[in-house]
Amino acid sequence: MRQNMKRLLAGPYVLWMIGFTIIPLLLVVYYGLTDKNGTFTFANVLSISTPEHMKALLLSLVLSLISTVICLLLAYPLALILRKRGIGQGSFVVFIFILPMWMNFLLRTLAWQTLLEKNGVINGILNILHLPNLAIINTPWAIILGMVYNFLPFMILPIYNVMIKIDDNTINAARDLGAGTLQTLFYIWIPLSVPGIISGITMVFVPALTTFVISSLLGGSKILLIGNVIEQEFTRGSNWNLGSGLSLVLMIFILISMALIAKYDKEGEGTAF
Amino acid sequence: MKRYSLKQFFQDFYLALILIFLYIPILTMIVLSFNNTKSRTLWGGFTLKWYEQMLQDQAILNALNNTLLIAFVSALIATVIGTASAIGINSMKKLPRTVLMGINNIPILNSEIVTGISLMLCFIAFGISLGFKTVLIAHITFNIPYVILSVMPKLRQTSRYTYEAALDLGASPLQAFFKVVFPDILPGILSGFLMAFTMSLDDFIITHFTRGAGIDTLSTLIYSEVRRGIKPSMYALSAVIFVTVLVLLLITNFTPENNRTGSPQGNDAALVRKRNRSARIRKGVLGIASAAVIFIVGFSTYSRYSVSHSNELYVYNWGEYIDESVIEQFEEETGIHVVYDLFETNEEMYPVIEAGAVQYDAVCPSDYMIQKMAENGLLAEINFDNVPNIKNIDPQFLEMSREFDPENKYSVPYTWGTVGILYNTKLIKERNLPVPERWSDLWNPAYEKEILMQDSVRDAFMVALKSMGYSMNTENPDELELAKQKLIEQKPLVQAYVIDQVRDKMIGGEAAVGVIYSGEMLYIQEEVKNQNLDFSLEYVIPEEGTNLWIDSWVIPANARNKENAEKWIDFLCRPDIALKNFEYITYATPNRAAKELLEPELRNNQAIFPDTEKLEGCEVYRYLGDETDAVYNSLWKEVKSN
Repeated sequence: MRQNMKRLLAGPYVLWMIGFTIIPLLLVVYYGLTDKNGTFTFANVLSISTPEHMKALLLSLVLSLISTVICLLLAYPLALILRKRGIGQGSFVVFIFILPMWMNFLLRTLAWQTLLEKNGVINGILNILHLPNLAIINTPWAIILGMVYNFLPFMILPIYNVMIKIDDNTINAARDLGAGTLQTLFYIWIPLSVPGIISGITMVFVPALTTFVISSLLGGSKILLIGNVIEQEFTRGSNWNLGSGLSLVLMIFILISMALIAKYDKEGEGTAF
Repeated sequence: MKRYSLKQFFQDFYLALILIFLYIPILTMIVLSFNNTKSRTLWGGFTLKWYEQMLQDQAILNALNNTLLIAFVSALIATVIGTASAIGINSMKKLPRTVLMGINNIPILNSEIVTGISLMLCFIAFGISLGFKTVLIAHITFNIPYVILSVMPKLRQTSRYTYEAALDLGASPLQAFFKVVFPDILPGILSGFLMAFTMSLDDFIITHFTRGAGIDTLSTLIYSEVRRGIKPSMYALSAVIFVTVLVLLLITNFTPENNRTGSPQGNDAALVRKRNRSARIRKGVLGIASAAVIFIVGFSTYSRYSVSHSNELYVYNWGEYIDESVIEQFEEETGIHVVYDLFETNEEMYPVIEAGAVQYDAVCPSDYMIQKMAENGLLAEINFDNVPNIKNIDPQFLEMSREFDPENKYSVPYTWGTVGILYNTKLIKERNLPVPERWSDLWNPAYEKEILMQDSVRDAFMVALKSMGYSMNTENPDELELAKQKLIEQKPLVQAYVIDQVRDKMIGGEAAVGVIYSGEMLYIQEEVKNQNLDFSLEYVIPEEGTNLWIDSWVIPANARNKENAEKWIDFLCRPDIALKNFEYITYATPNRAAKELLEPELRNNQAIFPDTEKLEGCEVYRYLGDETDAVYNSLWKEVKSN
């Protein structure tokens, strides 16, 4: 009886999710599978195979993969150092890495534009030191930098949160049994932090795959990512059906992420927070 | 021990590097907030004037107000719903629990663009007009999952036996919950709230798609400023926010023995509880402080929104396209309350009007878009009996308007201008580049990476078509194909495709030539003088002819306050008002009477008011129909993805 009462507490949430998550997604499906006159068609979804859409999708995949790998390589040692030192004990670390998010995301990205520009801050400093100039603004490298910068906290936090749950005794036991630094890393730390790694990967990969702001601010709009294509179909091309159809293609990657999370992070440990 | 300290040095070094990486853009912004010039790259001395401007800028303050209010209210509601449902879900059987947790992951994992778009489609489909409440609903929707994810683990850690013991000892379920379970899951609830608050604060994409008239958050305000150049007062605001948060953070974490998120490892339970309590007290202080701020913010918002306006006017205009004191003056003189909203491109404005997501009364689109709206039945005929000041408009422009509004019945010209090439005299000289005179000069390989092109379909194709001597309104597929190839050929020479940013980039000396709207010239010449730049920027109308554009006021067919809209348009045609607007916008005014009032120097400025013979070969954009539009769009995508 009591349990039933408790379950009812989820009622408002279930209604909310149906109203504002499920139904809106079904609408995207509806728009994606119909044309302007409302007749059923696969044309919007299949248009992903046109050369310009395919190119945009592939480029997005490549750039977001590179960014994800860089984020992982940067974040893992960092989380490990923080964990080993027990720095800040929880919330402080979280604060240090979410604090930049209180500065507006657009402003931070724009600040990178200021730093990287031809006559920007970094080149100004390089000029003073008589060093060759950095010319990565408006190239894919600037976009990767922007992605890594914006999404790095989403890689650090889940990994760190999983790591602090690993018992010191497990590590000590491995040490006592003669495992070296590398062995402890590969046989203890990494296997035990898989939920955090997977969660971090999806939390970096998905937003990086679909961004349109970073590419237009740091890529000089010369580089078209799939997010830009979709955004432009909605805001400039006025073709909502095509935009929805392409969004459906993107949702495939989201479903893959959900499946990965369900497989490797059953307990929901690897959350960022 | 030596080896250890070396290792520690590397670790410190690594930590420092990452922190520098994370904080360097923030530092840059803080430095810029004290920079005496508007330039993002030149240091002009220390100043506090942007902080003063920030405090006087109503748009920024309103946006800040909205941002905080939305973040706080959405986080609060999400925390209540999320905590309740976490408890509910936790007591479910495995299958429903897994399903619900799966659904819970959707808003987190789904790309923001899909979430935003899906919500927008949903609001429009159910006839919910976009505005404050839709943004709030959207934020609550993506906030709930974060709360659930942070409450759930805490809930798992609590033992259900203590709860049952409390019940057995005679506590009511509510008492048992608040005395036993609640204290245990409180850290999860608090961090869920904090996370929700942060996510809401930082969100741009979802807000972008779900917001409506007159509601801006900091993100959307900044995005609209990005195109025209960020006001330094925005940096000042960010610096203030950042320092405030940093100080709060330092206060709450001053004592380092904060409890770990994991299970406490100390054996002394009493000590742990004590620590928890002191942590909770600090968090309480933080909570009260922020609640006080929010209360003030909320109250001021409430008082602003609760004043009901029976006599309203919804205006939809380009960014920075009016002197704000004009709006105030209109409100004072007529008693009509103006709700003012901005759009960036014609194409962005169109679906909003078409879907009726917000019912605007007066809109200011460009020529070809007016034709499209009229042809699709979206415009109401203006009753010119209510617009006597139309007599001030130069008949020349009413004549030109016939290109897109054949009977002059839907539109009243507001501004006009040309598109031309802006060049940096110094860079041209230094690198021995030819002075551009024709569009075809933009294909000169000597300009490699020195060209800023317009990032809009029609303008980009106009440049290519005109350079080959074709009409910019062509529907001929062969000509369009050639233009596409021409643009692809030009792409390696282009530094970036930009819209309004071309202005600031040229002032910053980033590129040698740029395609620009003539109306920017006064501002540019002013800034070149103000910043004491060592070069000048000159404007040419290319010999092949260019786009002559007209932005005009129209009234949508679904307007609710048509007479107010006519009053508004008439007001804007008054010479003194048109003059005021010209001085602010600096785009040429078609208002003859207002132009008479200008100083001769301005009136004869060739960049702004070119002689009529220079306009030979110029065309006005026409709407080419949905199918041709689609052709242009897909060709442009081919250019961009190449």
